[in-house]
Amino acid sequence: MFKVLKKILKYPRLTQDYPNKPITKGMFIGKPKIDHEKCTLCEKCVKRCPSEAISKGSSDHTIHIDCYKCIFCTLCDEACPEGAITMTDNIELAEKKVTDLSNELLESELQAKIKKILGRSLAIREVDSGSCNGCDYEINALNNPFNDIERLGINFVASPRHADMLLVTGCATRNMESALLKTYEATPDPKLVVAVGACACSGGIFQDSYATQNGIDIILPVDVYIPGCPPPPQAILYGILSALSRIG
Amino acid sequence: MSLHKLNAKIEDRFPKYIYSSQALNDNELYLEADPEHIIELSMYFYEKLSCTLVCLFAADERALSGSFKLYYSFAERQSGSLIILSTSIDQNNSGFLSISKTVHTAARYEQEIHDLFGLIPIGHPELKRLVMHGNWPEGNFPLRRDFSLTHKPGASNLAYGFTEIKGTGVFEIPVGPVHAGIIEPGHFRFSVAGEPIFNLEAQLYYVHKGIEKLSEGKSTEKCFYIAERISGDETIANSLAYCQAIEKIAGINIPERAEYVRVLFAELERLTSHLGDLAGICIDVAYHFAGSQFNMLRGWAYEMATQLCGMRFLRSVNKLGGVRKEFVAGKEKSLLEQLNTMQRELEDTVDIIRHNSMFNDRIENTGVLDTKIAYDLNAVGPAARASGISNDMRKQFPYAAYPKLTFRVPVYAGGDVNSRMKVKIKEAFESISLMRQVIENMPGGKNFEPLEPLGPYKKAFGITESPRGENIHWVMTDETGNIFRYKIRTPSFCNWPALCYAVAGNIVPCFPLINKSFNLSYAGNDL
Repeated sequence: MFKVLKKILKYPRLTQDYPNKPITKGMFIGKPKIDHEKCTLCEKCVKRCPSEAISKGSSDHTIHIDCYKCIFCTLCDEACPEGAITMTDNIELAEKKVTDLSNELLESELQAKIKKILGRSLAIREVDSGSCNGCDYEINALNNPFNDIERLGINFVASPRHADMLLVTGCATRNMESALLKTYEATPDPKLVVAVGACACSGGIFQDSYATQNGIDIILPVDVYIPGCPPPPQAILYGILSALSRIG
Repeated sequence: MSLHKLNAKIEDRFPKYIYSSQALNDNELYLEADPEHIIELSMYFYEKLSCTLVCLFAADERALSGSFKLYYSFAERQSGSLIILSTSIDQNNSGFLSISKTVHTAARYEQEIHDLFGLIPIGHPELKRLVMHGNWPEGNFPLRRDFSLTHKPGASNLAYGFTEIKGTGVFEIPVGPVHAGIIEPGHFRFSVAGEPIFNLEAQLYYVHKGIEKLSEGKSTEKCFYIAERISGDETIANSLAYCQAIEKIAGINIPERAEYVRVLFAELERLTSHLGDLAGICIDVAYHFAGSQFNMLRGWAYEMATQLCGMRFLRSVNKLGGVRKEFVAGKEKSLLEQLNTMQRELEDTVDIIRHNSMFNDRIENTGVLDTKIAYDLNAVGPAARASGISNDMRKQFPYAAYPKLTFRVPVYAGGDVNSRMKVKIKEAFESISLMRQVIENMPGGKNFEPLEPLGPYKKAFGITESPRGENIHWVMTDETGNIFRYKIRTPSFCNWPALCYAVAGNIVPCFPLINKSFNLSYAGNDL
């Protein structure tokens, strides 16, 4: 007993105060950035990108990096002979999907409704629809002593029937499709869907296979996309909070 | 026994059966025989030469030779060599003789070949669908070359026949694929009478993504990134196995420094994984103090990974021909300090849990995996080592800098959760010691050796010991030096049937605990 108490007292608080305190600079490898002035359009990065995230625009003839397809492998940084592509340390990349005005209106209504019903608490059900399990481990890490997501009023629940938000990882494999849909249907309205990781956003490295979909939004309506392969826990937390409009 | 002697011995015994033999890549012996002799030959390898069937796979070589090819890969563990028995199945005759009645491990491989290639294992004891669920119409075989990667066949609703256990008071508990915890999807069908489990059948392949098909025709560099993503928490183990196969084909030796760095990252991955398992076992029996301590240690391991390469899951560390860049220089002192702290804290926590009799009562004799069954099913990794089988690929098929380092392979005979936990604890300490040795003895030099383009139709195995056990990859190149066939066999594929055996006779609430002690990857199994 004495030993247990001693150990508990030795490391009393491990929790990092994200998002109140920013992430240490240079800690993670984040979004790649292109310096268009240096770029000579040699397309070496386009050819070597393993997840086809880099493309040359047909109209404006510049190189684009699709953050949702990117697997953050840093190969473009290495491939570019001009040093035009560099990896930043920005991992706060989650974005809400707003396609047109009506959607935006609906969304603000939904947000108001969610706030009214839920206050500041949120119950999440996680669904792996065909990931490599990296994203799932990172979501799991939100519960560890370092991130302790419950301090923000957010907790993970065992059933979709108790959930306000579905956190979906993976590329919606053919074998998981119906289970994913059933989970979505079992979640009471109003509900939010957050796509976690490159696979869920776009199919990532597993896109265009006979057994996968290029992103879960082909099957479900998605509210927020969190890029990354896998996104670190802080990036997922950023995404969850931005879905609730509590950040950003 | 050298490859040459082994070959002579086999040819001496079966002079008429083997019509071609070829030694490749130092330790791979490729033999060819007719389909009708496969049963006899594999029985000889399995029973007389004590070889284990470590992989069985097919390749669609109709465009090359007009036939499908089957590769039966046996490991001769004493000498660290592989015997690969291959046979051609004529394209007009899609059946082949099943060997699973004598070599039990073969059963799941044959089912897999049946689903993905449409070849029928004749005499298979339980031929039902494995990879393709009922939503997959008949007659679609994705790994045949004429099946387009992007083809998505129409809907279907075929029944999946679970094994039925009948009797008074016997009922079934279906669980999954979406589980209560944050884990991967899989369906478990428990047949129980009251609390005790009679039978557990796991329906897997929910996360089947078609990785083997996706890699076909890809450049070796692009395929590397797929290999890294086979199973999220085994990034190094899988990418390393792939790199080794390609490096063997290219015929290059990687720089010594890269060999050491690879060991450093592989052991960091093992340490992280084992600490997570230890935390999971404790949390599953509601021992939250210990769970949180192990999770703290695991968090530190992730921090170490971030400091080294900016990626918690060690992505983009390996590279064909070595490692990506300089990761370690200048960080040695801080790494050693962190390792010392981790070792000290781990020792303290282990000491506390070993003296908690309530906890020990819970894990002792729970989920026992018999040595005989572990051997028959070729159980691998910590699960096998907890059942008295001392297999470790780092010793038997040495790679990277392992032959230059000292480490022990812990073995326990109990076969229960307790033994698996003890193996993992010991291995965690061994990993810390290995990382320390690497940091202290790492030579200077280059980080990688550039690779020349690969020749056509070359093949090689890559073998590593992942945190979950032996990990076997096989690569064959096409005429342009891209990937023709990439076969991946992760440790989880071997251990899933072992888990189902270990669960029988236990009560349902023990399942999560037993499952955690095995810690299998669904993604690694389903591909």
